[in-house]
Amino acid sequence: MTDLLKDKIAVITGAGRGIGRGIALLMASEGAKVVVNDPGVGPDGTGHDDGPAAQVVEEVKAAGGTATANFDTVATEEGGENIIKTALDTYGRIDILVNNAGILRDRMIFNMSEQEWDEVIAVHLDGHFNTIKPASQVMRQQRYGRIINFSSESGLWGNAGQANYGAAKSGIAGITRVVARDLGRYGVTCNAIAPRAWTRLVATIPDNRPGRPEPKEDAPPRPKMDPEDIAPMTAYLASDNAWNINGQIFHVYGGIVSVLNHPLPWRTIYKPGMWTLDELSAQIPTMLEGTDNPMPPAERIEGPATAAEVTG
Amino acid sequence: MGRLEGRSAVVTGAGRGIGRAVALLLAEEGASVVVNDPGVSVDGTGHDDGPAAQVVEEIKAAGGNAVANTDTVATSAGGEAMVTQCVDAFGKIDILINVAGILRDRMIFNMSHEEWRAVTDVHLKGHFNTIKPASILMRQQRSGRIVNFSSISGLRGISGQTNYGAAKAAIAGLTRVVGRDLGRYGVTCNAIAPGAATRMTATVPDAARQLRAATQTQQQTAMSRSVTPTPAHVAPMTVWLCTDDAWNVNGKIFHVAGGSISLAHEEDPIHTIEKTGQWTVQELIELVPNQLMHGIINPAPPPADLDEVPGRPAPV
Repeated sequence: MTDLLKDKIAVITGAGRGIGRGIALLMASEGAKVVVNDPGVGPDGTGHDDGPAAQVVEEVKAAGGTATANFDTVATEEGGENIIKTALDTYGRIDILVNNAGILRDRMIFNMSEQEWDEVIAVHLDGHFNTIKPASQVMRQQRYGRIINFSSESGLWGNAGQANYGAAKSGIAGITRVVARDLGRYGVTCNAIAPRAWTRLVATIPDNRPGRPEPKEDAPPRPKMDPEDIAPMTAYLASDNAWNINGQIFHVYGGIVSVLNHPLPWRTIYKPGMWTLDELSAQIPTMLEGTDNPMPPAERIEGPATAAEVTG
Repeated sequence: MGRLEGRSAVVTGAGRGIGRAVALLLAEEGASVVVNDPGVSVDGTGHDDGPAAQVVEEIKAAGGNAVANTDTVATSAGGEAMVTQCVDAFGKIDILINVAGILRDRMIFNMSHEEWRAVTDVHLKGHFNTIKPASILMRQQRSGRIVNFSSISGLRGISGQTNYGAAKAAIAGLTRVVGRDLGRYGVTCNAIAPGAATRMTATVPDAARQLRAATQTQQQTAMSRSVTPTPAHVAPMTVWLCTDDAWNVNGKIFHVAGGSISLAHEEDPIHTIEKTGQWTVQELIELVPNQLMHGIINPAPPPADLDEVPGRPAPV
């Protein structure tokens, strides 16, 4: 145990398992007092269980740290406010907010129900707003704070079957960029991590999705990607050392940490006036040279959809 | 003979601004257009059949084919209604352009849940509400074009727009996923982040403009290169993405402002640090500032007169 986060007050959502748990344990071992939030739902957001959050609190205490459990959902305004209030009531302030809670409801866009869309957006995207809003008021007043959000390559790069999750996770990158600009002058930073780790969420993704490459028999073993690998970069961003890192999106897995490009203009064509369609037909292919259509039309595309597809 | 003869299109938010310009150009190229606009004010309140009806009249006066729709995209019933109307009026839907949007700017610490909800409902849920029913039909007919509208607000970040920036960045993510869900069926899905002087940008307070100008130190946008970016400037690229020539352009984000058209950067790594096994925080303290973050600027650093910034070196 070192004292990198000595006496800092941290709230970590979704900290009962997986990546959130790893962050809670590391932050506590670095001296932070931790609110371990987790309503103990299933990977799809159903059910409720006080057990996971309570158990992580026990683990922190057994290692000599300080922690308290909270079981509210991030998906509602009241839940978000209660989570932040738990930190204020228990420890008197909040220095660090880690928004890690999440669920999955994968479905191709043409089969996705409104409920599957709404529930994933509510936990991920609304869930970030619901905690950041009350935390930002306190952090602005105390002229100090660290907000670390969780995005995903699903939205930043695109992943078939995850319109709800990909939209929410890309939206979280957008929240991060705006909140960083709203709060930076008050000594508060806001960054995001797009993690990759083998967790129970990943275990719910069907292996037979179209477009997913077949695993080769002689393929090397999957690199070790433990949920705990995400914790060191998260703790670093929460430390005073990272006072001037703000509004950035990081990709983190195993021993890899990357800082990502923002989707700003890359290749530009310009003319002083209106483009015509003919001009664009001539110019755009050059602009796109070396980039791929991530899902080009199938070889045989003529003909109506099969009955199975229409009903399926 | 236009490039889109025989095609039918839904354009949301087409009563004014960018949507109107896109609808007019689609019709000029021969497409039959459902001109959707509930005629709300910039903040989403009110209702007026006038704007959509007037654009339909403009299209008809120019010899084109159009019908008006005044449903909201913010509900699934509204989204389904405009897609259904396109099929009822013109027999199918080939093109879906999601332009509709509202603004409710506020700093994060003052933003109400109502302001968050209203903006994400129209922009993000609004995209889902039209894409879902359109995607079912486009998949079955093995062709289709979806063009979404994102914004520099979410892709770079603009102060005071957590709701709008979140929704607009989410639309970029949605575009990438839908492009992958539908690409094999001959359907493409792309997004445009437009820069144009419209009635929406006219609502931004001067104080916010100055603040934003001061924080935009890192990147000059393509917008600054062009003279007067009008809504009409956004139409050609939007319509081009609907043509047969764009059959293999999919899942991409474009910035369009005035005469500038840019392909957006993929959100891929700029710098990477790597080791076998797990990093320690102590190692990151050494490596992150000098290697990972080399040349990357804080877009809103704490000001010099903010007294205590733990970790910031004392001035020499």
